[in-house]
Amino acid sequence: MNAAKTEATDMLVEARDLTVRYGSKRAVDGVSFSIPKGRVVGLLGHNGAGKSTLMKAMVGLAQPEGALTVLGLNPIKDRVALLERACYIPDVATLPRWARVGELISMMSSLHPHFSAERARALLKRTSVGPNDKVKNLSKGMVVQAHLSLIAAIDAKLMILDEPTLGLDVLSRKAFYEMLVDEWCDGERSVVISTHQVEEIETLLSDVLMLNEGKLVLAISLEDMDRRFVALSHDAAVAEQMAAAHPLLKYRVGPGPNGSAALFDGAPPPDVQALGRRVRPSLVDLFVALTRKPELDRTQF
Amino acid sequence: MKRLIPLMQREWLQHRYGWLMMAGIPLGLSLLLLSFGQIEIGNEEMASAGAALPALLAAASIGGSMAVIFLIATFSSLVIVSNLARRDHADRSVEFWLSVPVSHSESFAAPLIVHLLLVPAAALVIGMLGGYAVSFVVVSRVVGSAAWFGLPWGVMLTASIGMMLRLLAGLPLAMLWLSPLILLVVLLTAWFRRWGWVILTVGLGLGSYLLKMVFGQPWLNRITVELVQAAGRSLINGSQSDGPAKGVEALRMLPAWALEDFGAALHALATPLFPGALLFAAGCFFLLVQWRQRGAGAAG
Repeated sequence: MNAAKTEATDMLVEARDLTVRYGSKRAVDGVSFSIPKGRVVGLLGHNGAGKSTLMKAMVGLAQPEGALTVLGLNPIKDRVALLERACYIPDVATLPRWARVGELISMMSSLHPHFSAERARALLKRTSVGPNDKVKNLSKGMVVQAHLSLIAAIDAKLMILDEPTLGLDVLSRKAFYEMLVDEWCDGERSVVISTHQVEEIETLLSDVLMLNEGKLVLAISLEDMDRRFVALSHDAAVAEQMAAAHPLLKYRVGPGPNGSAALFDGAPPPDVQALGRRVRPSLVDLFVALTRKPELDRTQF
Repeated sequence: MKRLIPLMQREWLQHRYGWLMMAGIPLGLSLLLLSFGQIEIGNEEMASAGAALPALLAAASIGGSMAVIFLIATFSSLVIVSNLARRDHADRSVEFWLSVPVSHSESFAAPLIVHLLLVPAAALVIGMLGGYAVSFVVVSRVVGSAAWFGLPWGVMLTASIGMMLRLLAGLPLAMLWLSPLILLVVLLTAWFRRWGWVILTVGLGLGSYLLKMVFGQPWLNRITVELVQAAGRSLINGSQSDGPAKGVEALRMLPAWALEDFGAALHALATPLFPGALLFAAGCFFLLVQWRQRGAGAAG
């Protein structure tokens, strides 16, 4: 995520002052970021924050303003060439209801130069979906499984997944994420993934992009995040002193009077640090801190 | 271009059962009704046909079968094509299709080729082949099965194949003539959903009336009528240089007539209306691609 650390040629996605409008509304508002190869990037944001629009722009399905290159290509002008090397699962997608899964595998083989039918069938065998199943007879979760099998069978450099596990049960979600890490992420390919199940993917991520009302509020690697953000758990007795240090967020890390915590952007003054014990801030806490008003006190909930 | 074939394959996978029913049901019904129903031919007609009656019955059966299957296929294709821009929105699979590496123009071109050319063309072939079966039933019921086997098959085959080739050759011309209207419907349906047909019908009807009655300008009505008539003439121009022939002689002359008729249909292209129509259709196609490119196809 830090361009200074990586060669320009390693950048799979580069966005500068990127804006996407729907009429007068700015769904994505002047965001700049870059994604090098070999990263797993979580794209986080509330509903309507602009995640899906940003992903659509990255695959040439939404017209952006500003500069955007994906795999060195212009997503609008070079959409076909881009989609040969970048695979995408949209948030609302379902597979065509009239098709059988095997027919879709066959069609993808013809349409996609980097699609492996063999791999798709192998991935499908791990699910409860058969190649002769008609999409219209599958449950929502099974359709997602079939779709993921199709997409994961593409030898792409970049995978863009918009809420890919929506509708899947916890076991299927876990299986998908394991497949993603074990078989897809090889240090060269990158994944951009948006989901509301932040806790489930936190361990997979190398970087995070946070959007709030179309604006990018954070673009950081998880290593840098741990260095930059400091969370202190503390007793209720020192809550006022903690609050006086203006933390980003006050929240609970456990039950009882000692279960409070305060999240700071950067190290707080030593006297404040002495009041509590440093704990690792979770991505969820950071997400809440950066996308909700900082004066909100979650210890009250 | 290499992706057109798999996109066309998609049409087959999606519509194959509908197509099979479209051809099978009318043919099956015809065979059933003609096998067990009453076939009545007036004495006067039988007398005037004379010895050519079996051949004329067979020719009418084959021609009728071709016409019925062709018209059903073309009509259903036009209905399917009119909703082309939004057809994948119903099951929300549009996002899936937008995520495959296929250009927007290919996505529109492939189904247009399939539904406007290949399906009607296949309907002609199936109609002709089915027509032979229908002719067997009809001739057998009216004059006996021996008469069917005794038909002048050389003439029958050259006539039916000649007619089919004439229609096949005229089909692309007819679709090109109709392309401004067809693509305008597709575009209006993309923009206004189900109101597309209504807007086109009211727009053309009311527009033609107002232009003619209020401004004294009949061109909109004239162009619309001319496009439809020209499409019809592309299939059957009705040209006849020789005098009218009758009976088997007419069937014998049919291939030559078909060739001459097609020449006349080609000659009819030499009018400013034809390139104008193509230009208008190309403009509609461009706007459709733009509509899809802007993400409107995805946003619904």
